Amino acid sequence: MSKNAKVSGSVVAGFPSPAEQYQETPLDLNALLVKRPAATFFVRVKGESMIGEGIHDGDLLVVDRSLRPASGDVIIACVDGDFTVKTYRRDKDGVRLEPANPDFPVMYMRRGQQLDYFGKVTACIHRF
Amino acid sequence: MIGLVDGNNFFVSCERVFNRRLVGRPVAVLSNNDGCCVSRSNEFRELGIAMGTPYYQLRNREKSGELDFCSSNYELYGDMSRRIISILRDEALDVEQYSIDEAFIYPPMGNGIGLVEYGKRLRAKILRWVGIPCGVGFAPTKTLAKIANHIGKKQPDGVFLMPDDPTEILASLPADEVWGVGRRLSRKLRAEQIFTAKDLRDASDDVIRSVGGVVLLRTATELRGKPCSEDRDYDADPDSVSCSRSFGEPVTTLDGISESLASFTAQAATKLRKHDMLASGCNIYAQIFRSGGGGDCIVRTVMFPEPTDATNAMLNAIRPEVPALFLPGTRYRKTGVVFFGLEKVGSARQMDLFAPPKALEASPLYKAIDAINARYGKGKVFSASEGIGDKSWRMKRGKLSKRASTRWDELLTVS
Repeated sequence: MSKNAKVSGSVVAGFPSPAEQYQETPLDLNALLVKRPAATFFVRVKGESMIGEGIHDGDLLVVDRSLRPASGDVIIACVDGDFTVKTYRRDKDGVRLEPANPDFPVMYMRRGQQLDYFGKVTACIHRF
Repeated sequence: MIGLVDGNNFFVSCERVFNRRLVGRPVAVLSNNDGCCVSRSNEFRELGIAMGTPYYQLRNREKSGELDFCSSNYELYGDMSRRIISILRDEALDVEQYSIDEAFIYPPMGNGIGLVEYGKRLRAKILRWVGIPCGVGFAPTKTLAKIANHIGKKQPDGVFLMPDDPTEILASLPADEVWGVGRRLSRKLRAEQIFTAKDLRDASDDVIRSVGGVVLLRTATELRGKPCSEDRDYDADPDSVSCSRSFGEPVTTLDGISESLASFTAQAATKLRKHDMLASGCNIYAQIFRSGGGGDCIVRTVMFPEPTDATNAMLNAIRPEVPALFLPGTRYRKTGVVFFGLEKVGSARQMDLFAPPKALEASPLYKAIDAINARYGKGKVFSASEGIGDKSWRMKRGKLSKRASTRWDELLTVS
């Protein structure tokens, strides 16, 4: 009995330490924001084209490549060799990338043109 | 069954993830000091420009806009490699990383979808998650898996399963292209009427031993379908140098981790010197113990200040990164080191007139310097040739891309 009475924290018999129930690991922002490290990249925002979504110049975006884009998602894509952050729209009017700032144009995908998708933005980190 | 997964034109593919202008272009990644081509896109190969072609011979074709080049960004490649390995660890029973862009995997048994389908899903996942296209080959042995992988790369879906009877495939493969055989045995093999992998497989053990000793016999045994590469010495293949070992008992201390890594680094460095090669950096890893095999791996990419074969220089670069592999209270199964960015001593390094001569490493002078530095602090005494202040000029990497996945100040920018 004494041999297998208690195995590191998981109680088989005997009295558990009352403190054990309340043991917590410190909160980890990485664990919260990065669900799939192998597929997650960070990118830096330049410019104000997505200001309406709360994405500011200099912000850090968490991008998950494993997620497929759905209409309405904020994504990173490459257009004519430049990477851009925009809202992805796909409906009867076709596929387009929408800014969240009236000063910037909507980018329509031409017929047969494939969207060069990089990943879905899952968080925006803004430092004050 | 064993699988071999490797990244197609790995360095070029890594560059293309973050620089989409390179997609569809003839592009090559250059060796250290922008010496020669070490990774080529398919478009570049199709122009008939060989691996190892010196950069200076191609500069005019770069200026005219025909060709693109990148300096080698080993920090980026090391990180992308780490990501691929972690996906493989999630999907396979066990993974043995063989080089920065190649890993053997042991697929899970009876997953109900068949190996080819499994390989396709694996490949699709790596492509989507990391952005790197891979070739996948399955066979009963590592040597055969290498061959299957080569064929896989040419398939539209990137995957190939070696048929039960591979005779036809082996008959069309020159013997010296088999993994671990090498050109230096070509003449001796020909003298014994061994021209193809099939001839090698079917030759008598005595003949094989007389041509290439026990190492070649192991290769032939693997061609016959019998795994023979446990604890294999990978020395025959100088494009990768690695060293790793599973612990007899799980290791639970930082000392245990760092001592084992130091010892593997020293062993791998000895291999390097044997081949007169230098390494630009390495991935160090520690695998967490999980009963039944496998287990997560923590990996760090370490760049050496310059390509080196000196154990000391390597350990100095590795030491600060080791604590990052260690989580207190965790049991570790295995540690290892994989060197990358290998080059021959003297190749493409003629420009580096100021590099300390190799012979100095173990000389009394170096020892005295080490002793002084140990007592009064790192870098108090150094040879003037090491330079004062910023040493980034040392390695010529004029076309270096951003280290977009390992440096906060070099992230991809999006507008």
